[in-house]
Amino acid sequence: MIELRVNGEAKSVDVAPDMPLLWVLRDVLHLTGTKFGCGIAQCGACTVHIDGKPVRSCQLAVGALGNRAITTIEKIGETPAGARVQKAWLDLEVIQCGYCQSGQIMSAAALLNSVPHPDDADIDAAMSGNICRCGTYVRIRAAIKRAAAEHA
Amino acid sequence: MKALSRRWKIVLGILAAGSLIGLSVAWWLIPPGALAFAGGTRVALDAYSGPNPTGVSTELKSADAVTRGRYLAALSGCQICHTEEGSAPFAGGHAFPTPFGTLYSPNITPDRRTGIGDWSDADFLRAMHKGIAKDGSHLYPAFPYDSYALMTDEDALAIKAYLFSLKPVRQTPPRNTLPFPFNQRWLMGIWGAVYTPSDRFRPHADRSPEWNRGAYLVEALAHCNDCHTERNLAEAPNNRRKFGGGIADGWLAYNITQDETSGLGAWSDDEIARYLSGSHVQGRGAAAGPMAGVVDVELNHASQADIRAMVAYLRSIPPAAGDLPAPRPTAAPDSPRAEVAAFDNRGKHVFEGACASCHGWSGASPLTGYATLTGSRAVNDPSATNVASIVLFGTERLTPQGRIAMPAFGKAYSDAEIAAVANYVTARFGARGSHLTAKDVAKLREGS
Repeated sequence: MIELRVNGEAKSVDVAPDMPLLWVLRDVLHLTGTKFGCGIAQCGACTVHIDGKPVRSCQLAVGALGNRAITTIEKIGETPAGARVQKAWLDLEVIQCGYCQSGQIMSAAALLNSVPHPDDADIDAAMSGNICRCGTYVRIRAAIKRAAAEHA
Repeated sequence: MKALSRRWKIVLGILAAGSLIGLSVAWWLIPPGALAFAGGTRVALDAYSGPNPTGVSTELKSADAVTRGRYLAALSGCQICHTEEGSAPFAGGHAFPTPFGTLYSPNITPDRRTGIGDWSDADFLRAMHKGIAKDGSHLYPAFPYDSYALMTDEDALAIKAYLFSLKPVRQTPPRNTLPFPFNQRWLMGIWGAVYTPSDRFRPHADRSPEWNRGAYLVEALAHCNDCHTERNLAEAPNNRRKFGGGIADGWLAYNITQDETSGLGAWSDDEIARYLSGSHVQGRGAAAGPMAGVVDVELNHASQADIRAMVAYLRSIPPAAGDLPAPRPTAAPDSPRAEVAAFDNRGKHVFEGACASCHGWSGASPLTGYATLTGSRAVNDPSATNVASIVLFGTERLTPQGRIAMPAFGKAYSDAEIAAVANYVTARFGARGSHLTAKDVAKLREGS
């Protein structure tokens, strides 16, 4: 059994230690908000937070996690930055097909936590690893700035 | 009379000059043996007063030949070269591109038709010690028999017992593509006669038992010399710069001498031991490319006492100065804003899209220590050869926590983009930025 801390709750899962976190989240814990995209950490759809940092869960073996805090799209709205990002996303109707958007929101929330008022260069650096096949990049950029502006 | 003596003087002069050139060519082409640096007195194995430095680890001393052979075969790295990716282990077919053409490793499973199933003990020993196959043909020294020549008969035959315990696989490797004259195998007989030690390992009486054990493991089994020592014109390891760095499958096999700057001089014993046992080492990096297989398939079978013996031996290698800078010990800034020396912006773009999510902007990976770049030799190598190679081909590690891999980006990015990201990475995380061009990357792409 492997002990994990997911969205503030202790979970024990009976899986091989080399199973990627994404599989555990989706298939074992049924947290299906996090998406499978490419499987090789190149599209960003599977982004979750580990101790507040955005990581690609498809390439992260659960055995290596230990007691680090895992946050997924299901609970990111309970953090101040996550809530602001989700609100801006709705206000500006960022989403088109939606598949990549959990990953986009996770990366954006992590960005606002480290850089409260990001400019275009900060947004490029933080968001370039999240690919959107619908091309919603312009609205994503605008929504991040909107969410930052809401920050008092 | 006078004319004659002048003619004689000229003849003698030419002879003297000729033999001087001949001697220096010979000096250059025939370097000292792999263990010559150690000096001192060597004694026969029977005459050595310490514990026997050959054979398996202490734990396995009383095991049967197959078990002992498995351990020795693992440390000798048989499987790596005699296995083609995706094919049965030991069934051969692995390609060795050389400057002269491509060689393919033979099948060493006990299949009687395509493997070595009909080889006698004497046949096997002759191959291991002299590089001559059962049919009398000379083997190419891609098979490191110049190292295995140091292995005892007992150990070589234990390896044979292990290989003969495997399931026979019927598989014939592709034919070598060497043109004339390199396809003339008899020429290898000359190479073998010049470069192969005629004696098995002889312990050094004035060195510690641990050192002698390490010497046996490193030289007779693990054949580190094969990649980590540069080769001369005759493709023989130049032991005057023993372990000063060489080439493995297009990757650089770095300096592992005791040089403080370019080599392992600044590493602690514990750091070397952990690296060889399969860990990543904070501030030093982790094995990748061909060394990943060496660590994960071979050395992780070694007992801790044997790893420590290898470290003790490596500690005695004289420093060979190199041109690699001392690795930068500190991580890069967390923020992507903190700029590195102005480099092609394209490198940063590739990095932010493809690399930052696993390696982090600081180089300290949020995912795994195996992906941490800080202090690793590859990012502190201003030729950026290994950085470009790992981007092109990816790498795979079989760690105690499971398989971990970096994907290959060779098909996703152009040569110019890979050159740009390699230059960005060495500048951001290393001691000195590289100046790789698209042409250099194209060469690495072809070379493998």
